[in-house]
Amino acid sequence: MRMQLRDHMKKILIYTFGIFGFVNIANAQIIDTTKVYKKRVLENTEIDLLMSMYSQDGVHSPVNGGIGTEQLSDRTTAIVISIPLNADDVLTVDAGISAYTSASSSNINPWMSNNSNGLKSVSWGNKGLNASGASHGSGGGVNTGGGGTPSGPQNAINPTGTPWLASSGASRGEQLNTILTNYSHSSDDRNQLWGANLFFSDEFTYTSFGFGGNFTKLFNEKNTEVGFKGSVFLDQWRKIYPTEFKEYLQIGNGFQYLGYFAGVSILNNSGNVITSTDYLPLGFKPWDKSGRESYSMSFYASQIINQRFQGALFFDLVMQQGKLSTPYHRIYFADKPKYYIGTASDIANYTSPTNKGVYQLADAIETLPNVRFKLPLGVRMNYYLNETFVLRGYYRYYIDTWGLNAHTVNLDLPVKLSQSFTLTPSYRFYSQNQVKYFGPYESHVSTEQYFTSDYDLSKFNATQYSMALNYTDIFTKFKLGSLGLKNINLRYSHYDRTDGLNADIFSLGVKFVGGEK
Amino acid sequence: MKRNILLLMFALFLLSSCVAVKEYKKVYVNDPDMKLSSLENERYESTFQVYREGASGANGGKTGGGCGCN
Repeated sequence: MRMQLRDHMKKILIYTFGIFGFVNIANAQIIDTTKVYKKRVLENTEIDLLMSMYSQDGVHSPVNGGIGTEQLSDRTTAIVISIPLNADDVLTVDAGISAYTSASSSNINPWMSNNSNGLKSVSWGNKGLNASGASHGSGGGVNTGGGGTPSGPQNAINPTGTPWLASSGASRGEQLNTILTNYSHSSDDRNQLWGANLFFSDEFTYTSFGFGGNFTKLFNEKNTEVGFKGSVFLDQWRKIYPTEFKEYLQIGNGFQYLGYFAGVSILNNSGNVITSTDYLPLGFKPWDKSGRESYSMSFYASQIINQRFQGALFFDLVMQQGKLSTPYHRIYFADKPKYYIGTASDIANYTSPTNKGVYQLADAIETLPNVRFKLPLGVRMNYYLNETFVLRGYYRYYIDTWGLNAHTVNLDLPVKLSQSFTLTPSYRFYSQNQVKYFGPYESHVSTEQYFTSDYDLSKFNATQYSMALNYTDIFTKFKLGSLGLKNINLRYSHYDRTDGLNADIFSLGVKFVGGEK
Repeated sequence: MKRNILLLMFALFLLSSCVAVKEYKKVYVNDPDMKLSSLENERYESTFQVYREGASGANGGKTGGGCGCN
């Protein structure tokens, strides 16, 4: 009986989907044979001016092996220009500059001199050698060691550093430049759209070149839409290693008392000066290649369900290969002796923010598999409640081959205060487990193949509260030359992660439209 | 059985799409706040979330690559 019922249900479902498909195709054919008025895809040139201010703080910097300040601030400005080339084609150029200061990145080279001449950048090294470090200061400083002989404590200049404060390294402040161009073409009946794009970005540690294409088909009287997007990113890391590894790579054995570290005392866990050659980072394996490629295919389908309700499904398949770790993320092994440079009395409270003057020499850099597959699936449902309220809901499930599972829920409630003003409160909840290769500070052991102490890949929940105010000038009354103001948008969000990271972001967008053609 | 009922409900839900909403009746679904993608002013938040979280994608935007992020 149960089997018969199941077979019956299957038949019903097959017929149901069959009828649904037939009606959709029939509808699409009816529309395709109908001549409709051809409206321009974009009536006039549009210019968006965007800016944002972001700041964050936390206590798990991956540059310091999973402890220390994560202070970061970022100022971004961007301009997006959309130009109608004709009735069917639109060219969009999106260019942005992002300037940031990062305490975490500055600690690629954490050490600062406390010598009497007040130099802040590290310049105690032997000038005769190619002193380096990602953030090395210029020469001309004190040269107390060098000469090819190990230095004793009597001539040490005792530079200090700490994971809990920013260093003055060059990587403290950097700039990210991006440019994206997109060309799109719509068919005469506006039921098909295809596009192509090019992307380039460059920053202190990373360069990216990308390209992609997309295709969208509308049918069922434009009630149903399906789309596909493919993209490729060919990225390149710069091999920027923590200073101790860069020196080891350049000088080899003896780097502890030559070059950059000449004249510097290395301390053991008890705070005693050791024979400098005791510290040897054999766990550090420099990269032979530094490329990262990302290939993604995105599918989506949307449906108008009734006059007030519509939804969409999103599904991505992403493959990344190459260097998926970060070259300046330090790792400290639990089964290796500890060595430090700085103030001996601070070693006892190394993992506490009260540590103002000592920094631990690392054992290795983050190492992760060279391949990662990502599978995110998203659903969006929007409901027009009434003239005042719109309810927007989004859910995403994510899984990847590194063992990460994540859930994201986002709710927006745009409230139309008047014809011109909309206030939008939003709430977002995010939850993830940790990747297989994550371990906190000093929890990994040197026999492991893969390891990271990056808390972005750890288990945590995050909540975000946002408020946005949107002003729309439907008649574009305010003019700036030949441009009319169309829209102003302000948004503020506060983000909290259960591992102690928190962030605030403020963004402003202003849209102008060109004059009538 | 429950699964089948859910499938049937899903099918009925899809069937409702056969009653196409005419263009002149799309004033609500064409409202800017009804867009089936992230709001434009979420652009920078999406960017920092891609850096600060392990998951990304399936929102009509960035899927991975193009930055030294997760």
